[in-house]
Amino acid sequence: MAILEVNNLKAYYVTHTFGRSSTVRAVDGVSFQVNKNEIYGIAGESGCGKSTLLKAISGLVKPPLQILDGEVGYNFDDERLDILSLRDDRKRRKLRGARISLIPQGSMSVLNPVRRVRKAFEDVIYAHLDVSEKEFEELVSRHLLALGLDWTVMHTYPHQLSGGMRQRITIALSTILRPDIIFADEPTTALDVVVQRGVVQLIKKIKEEQQNTLIMVTHDMSIHANLCDRLAVMYAGEIVEEGDVQSIFSAPKHPYTTMLLDSLPKVGDSSARVSAPGAPPSLVDPPEGCRFHPRCPHVMERCRVESPVLNGLGNGHRVACFLQEGGK
Amino acid sequence: MLKKYYIPRLIQYFTVLFIGLTLVFVIPRLLPSNPVEHQLSRMMSQGQYLDPSAIEAMRETLEQLYGLKGGTFEQYIDYFKRLFTGDLGPSFTQFPTPVMTLIRQSLPWTVGLLFASLSISWIVGTVLGGIRVSFPRSRLARLIELLIMGVRPIPYYIVSLVLLILFAFLWPVFPMSGGYSMGVKVGFNARFILDLLRHAFLPILSMVIIEIGGWFLQMRNVASNIVEEDYVVYAEASGLPKAKIVFMYIMRNAIIPQITGFALNIGFIFGGALITEIVFAYPGMGYLLYSAILSGDYNLIMGINVFSIVGVSTAMLIVDLIYPLLDPRVRYQ
Repeated sequence: MAILEVNNLKAYYVTHTFGRSSTVRAVDGVSFQVNKNEIYGIAGESGCGKSTLLKAISGLVKPPLQILDGEVGYNFDDERLDILSLRDDRKRRKLRGARISLIPQGSMSVLNPVRRVRKAFEDVIYAHLDVSEKEFEELVSRHLLALGLDWTVMHTYPHQLSGGMRQRITIALSTILRPDIIFADEPTTALDVVVQRGVVQLIKKIKEEQQNTLIMVTHDMSIHANLCDRLAVMYAGEIVEEGDVQSIFSAPKHPYTTMLLDSLPKVGDSSARVSAPGAPPSLVDPPEGCRFHPRCPHVMERCRVESPVLNGLGNGHRVACFLQEGGK
Repeated sequence: MLKKYYIPRLIQYFTVLFIGLTLVFVIPRLLPSNPVEHQLSRMMSQGQYLDPSAIEAMRETLEQLYGLKGGTFEQYIDYFKRLFTGDLGPSFTQFPTPVMTLIRQSLPWTVGLLFASLSISWIVGTVLGGIRVSFPRSRLARLIELLIMGVRPIPYYIVSLVLLILFAFLWPVFPMSGGYSMGVKVGFNARFILDLLRHAFLPILSMVIIEIGGWFLQMRNVASNIVEEDYVVYAEASGLPKAKIVFMYIMRNAIIPQITGFALNIGFIFGGALITEIVFAYPGMGYLLYSAILSGDYNLIMGINVFSIVGVSTAMLIVDLIYPLLDPRVRYQ
């Protein structure tokens, strides 16, 4: 059963300067479904709208970001709601952190620099649960123990911890209330490779233990290969290919996906890796037709004028490319 | 912690004091005029006949009194010796009243006036700045911003003169000048305190109106960067109550530079508020300094400068000492 349904979501950054408005079409007509208990990956280069998509589906919409169209529906066990039509700010707050939670990028400043780690836990837990101090300590120490963290971190300030440690604490904070859905927004950026592995395993472990749904956003295809059940590839604000990880990695259908996969190193292949040429287009003025056509090695006349739609290829694999329609 | 943080700051404090006080000593001695000769010629120009030996004796006495006896180095040592005993020498124009006495009379007025206006403008400006950023869509907050920004560029003396004309002349609800009314008994009684507040109201208001702008702007600018910080976004994503985010995440971080600014301004209090005190004829340090400059009373100028230097550097020291409490990151730097 789908726990998250996104339909034709359009999230644009609209800015007005001196009477001229400019629109960045960061997420442009995206639809997908995430099933309960699965790990859903979202891949794509920087500037493809991955983070904006996350903001929009978790309801963190602040100007200049605007939702122009679409719906984001959650099917929890006991209720069903559309987060974008929730007018009551308090209701949305109750949802965040408790039922849907975010693991942010592993940056330096996710934790408030002037508050001890304990305060961060207090803030999150007391915002959602009515518990005594003793229950609070029990809850946190059990969770920390499960994550292999020591209680002493509670007394530290964020700047006293290493980047990996901070990210573990952030993960602990995001998962302490056993949310139904976890959004992980590039949780491994800014961490070194050894720590990255630990963080990914930690997220996986929590997911298995808490039986929740995980949406993993990262540009790192190797993480998707290791972690995800299903994968969506985004390009220039649109989903260009979606399917289960096995079939995407073994037989990518979209030229962009092929490009991404070709840049990955493979065991036993010592030839130089080809990086994807060019860069994603400006989303202020995306190219006509298929947005990928300026970089596409198989570009045809039709691609320059018409834009392809996501078409099913059977067994849940969808792709937006004319090549798959026998247009060759 | 003690060795790495406090000791260097104490050393720095005393070094700054030493250099500042030395400059106060050196600068008047670089002036082309000599106060002893100045005084003597003033006496002689009054038409008095003095025989040369009497002039010589008088010169000696004056040099002793002014601390100008002996070589420059001897004077320098003597100057510090006298500073430690709290002796700043006599005022030249109100001879032989000691400078210390004059300052002691003016200081409470200035401190009261400036501390009140500083605190009020700091609190109001900081809170409004924080609110402006935390509630970007509030119309009221935007209106307040417009008002503050509109008033801020008005030259300070115009604000005080306008207030004076409006509320002391055209509609005389407040007194024109002075620190308290003639005939009111100075002391701790209700009548005196009320009178004091009435006299202080317009000067304080004039300073508050202008100073709010600075605090508001600084707070707004710092806070608008903090709203974009990851920890604020993450706090939003964790569903924390809005009030918690505003106070403990946005304001708590934005207030650190505000507190530095506040403490530094406390240091400046000891220099007085020149224009306010002149416009409102308020008997404070600024007024004292102004008359000292006009009459070339440089013992008094030096005395006021000593107070300013000690005030500013002590305030800096206090900021440094309490900073680790405000910002835990400072401790290990």
